[in-house]
Amino acid sequence: MYFVEFAWLIPLIPLAAFLFIGFFGDRTPEGGGYVAVGAAALAFIMSALVGYEILSGTHGAYYENSIPWLTISNGVVLNFGLYLDNLAVLMMIFASFISMLIFVYSIGYMHDQGERKKRYYTKVSLFLTAMLGLVMASNFLQMFIFWEIVGLCSYLLIGFWGFKHPKGDKASVAAASAAKKAFLVTRMGDVALLAGLFVLLNAFSSLDYVTLFDPANIALVDQSTLALGSLLIFGGVIGKSAQFPLHDWLPDAMEGPTTVSALIHAATMVKAGVYLTARSFPIFVQSTDVMLFIAIIGGVTAFYAATMALNNMNIKRVLAYSTLSQLGFMILALGAGGYLIAMGVADGTPITGSKAFGYTAGVFHMMNHAFFKALLFLGAGAVIHAVGTEDMRKMGGLRKRMGITSITMLIGTLSIAGIPIFAGFWSKDFVLEAVMVVAEGSGAAAMIFMLLYILAMATAFMTAFYMFRLWYMTFGGEEGEASKHCHGEAEKVMAYPLIVLSAFAALSGFLILFGFNQALTFNWDGPGTDFVIGGGGYAMLDVLEKIFTSPFAYLAIVVAAAGFYAAYRMYNVKDVDPGRFNKDGESALYKLLQRRYYFPQFYDAIALKLTYPVALAVEEVDRKAVDGTVDGIANSLTGGSQMLRRIQTGYVQTYAAYVLGGLILMFVAIYLVGYLGGL
Amino acid sequence: MIPLEMFLGLSAVLFAVGAYGVLTKKNGLVVLMCIELMLNAANINFIAFSAFFNDVAGQIFVIMAIAVAAAEVAVGIAILLNLYKTSGTTDLEEINILRW
Repeated sequence: MYFVEFAWLIPLIPLAAFLFIGFFGDRTPEGGGYVAVGAAALAFIMSALVGYEILSGTHGAYYENSIPWLTISNGVVLNFGLYLDNLAVLMMIFASFISMLIFVYSIGYMHDQGERKKRYYTKVSLFLTAMLGLVMASNFLQMFIFWEIVGLCSYLLIGFWGFKHPKGDKASVAAASAAKKAFLVTRMGDVALLAGLFVLLNAFSSLDYVTLFDPANIALVDQSTLALGSLLIFGGVIGKSAQFPLHDWLPDAMEGPTTVSALIHAATMVKAGVYLTARSFPIFVQSTDVMLFIAIIGGVTAFYAATMALNNMNIKRVLAYSTLSQLGFMILALGAGGYLIAMGVADGTPITGSKAFGYTAGVFHMMNHAFFKALLFLGAGAVIHAVGTEDMRKMGGLRKRMGITSITMLIGTLSIAGIPIFAGFWSKDFVLEAVMVVAEGSGAAAMIFMLLYILAMATAFMTAFYMFRLWYMTFGGEEGEASKHCHGEAEKVMAYPLIVLSAFAALSGFLILFGFNQALTFNWDGPGTDFVIGGGGYAMLDVLEKIFTSPFAYLAIVVAAAGFYAAYRMYNVKDVDPGRFNKDGESALYKLLQRRYYFPQFYDAIALKLTYPVALAVEEVDRKAVDGTVDGIANSLTGGSQMLRRIQTGYVQTYAAYVLGGLILMFVAIYLVGYLGGL
Repeated sequence: MIPLEMFLGLSAVLFAVGAYGVLTKKNGLVVLMCIELMLNAANINFIAFSAFFNDVAGQIFVIMAIAVAAAEVAVGIAILLNLYKTSGTTDLEEINILRW
């Protein structure tokens, strides 16, 4: 008996919780909160057991088990099943683990929400179900179904306060419109993803991972078809993982409860896009151009989003921009690593070890980011819970009042900023190294990657700066006006998840030394062999040697320290006035950043100038042509019958006359037929 | 021996008179009587052909038809009586409640 035989139960556990809380949640304590926590914990334990089996290699490179679901006429079978490899189980483990901690925290955070708690726990349970189903799916179609459920859940949760917001109607409207924006913007990416699935289905006559990732099958498909399919699938990633230019929904998504932000940013939703990129690697690496495109999108997003975090005063928005930026890092790492692999595939040279570096870096950063971003959001939630505002200018000096929160937040900040030994240091260094490996090559692409490396370095500096700025503005210095309302440390049920997460945010980086590196590489032993996730990679000492003998690693540390120092001088010692650099918030650049590069206006302009007239024209066609036809048929029928009913006079003699007339006509006709027919 | 055509001619005239009455008379009772005329025009045809072909089946049909006609008149008059009770008239021009 193996644990994987029961793996299909894992998404069903939170699903059962979803149904139970949905129907009976209000009859259990905390609106079903404990049920949600229990389901997530059970899902986590089972994921860990399954993960142990998969990672220990009991089932080879992957475990696949599918049953036919739909059969299309020309022999194409769409399956429904499980595909578990190292990547999938990693996602399962950290998604269920972090969700569990967030649910525990929610019991404290959502305690005052009354009847809404049931709705909240119902939705988050479904969210976890969808995420687990997404990563465990055995084919793209099944993945897409859960992908859409994830999108639906994020819509429902971002709009959680879409009515009767505790801060009034205006906030309700903002929440509802943020939810709508998240749904519609990601939908644009999803349309591309769906189109990509059609391209692949047409090319492969199947959507199973096993079929699509088989090099023998890939070789039969036209290169440009593959590139088109890859780019369309990546379009879905751009929407889901909020990459440039579909990033703008993520900052708005802060209108939801802070726990939802933590869930979306750490465990579910945006991680689905990074997962899909990593999952589709065997197809993506068939084209260097696709990988270059992915890397550019990632690098640009990382830099661009970080700039907007520099001067934002809202604690949650800063974290939202930092998520965007870190997602850009992950995509950049995957793109850079994938570019090298793609070159190897083009040449037919095997890809292992250093060439598979970017893949490991991207996935590793995704995991570490999940820990420290969950921590930072939950910490920010505790602060907001305590002081009742999200404006950092009104905070400050909370270090004394909220000891545990300030220390755990500091650990998260150190981690995301990339200070050595903390988790973020290892993975961020890996990302930068992965980009540098490509940039050291020759040719135009190497130049582009050099540029991306510089952007990434600048991003690392900005990350350190804005994160320490956030910490100092919130916890350091004198007490702000809102800080005085603070009633002390958050309750225990909220503090414990913070402590657990801070331990992971500090230490999860060391996993790279203890096997993560071998488990999450992307290997290919040359033409005719399969793409395999896991195996190869560096041993512990090699990693250490690689990092600490590279001058670029020290450069990254110096850059992070510089960011920290700048924030320290500006926001703690305060001997450098930040207003000096932006004319006290009046400079054009400052306003540009605050207005998010006018992207919301840009979206609105597109909607007003392009979409709205098109919609009006379509409506016109709909009204005139479609409705006109339908109404015309109906009107001619009613009009015709209006006329015909005059025949029904109600006088019995009229009817008798008709009968007689008919009879005579019939006789005449019979006579004529007989006469003319010569009978 | 009177030829068959005479009987058929009589029957046609009788039928035409009955049909004219059914279509034009206002009084429901008269219309019923005219229907009887049409019916008996058909009966005359039956008897004439029966004698012409020397086949007794036609005469049996006539007896059947007369029996059915008697029943039908009973029903018709009953309807007419009820109509008279409810609407106070047997004038067919007044009775058009079945229309739109």
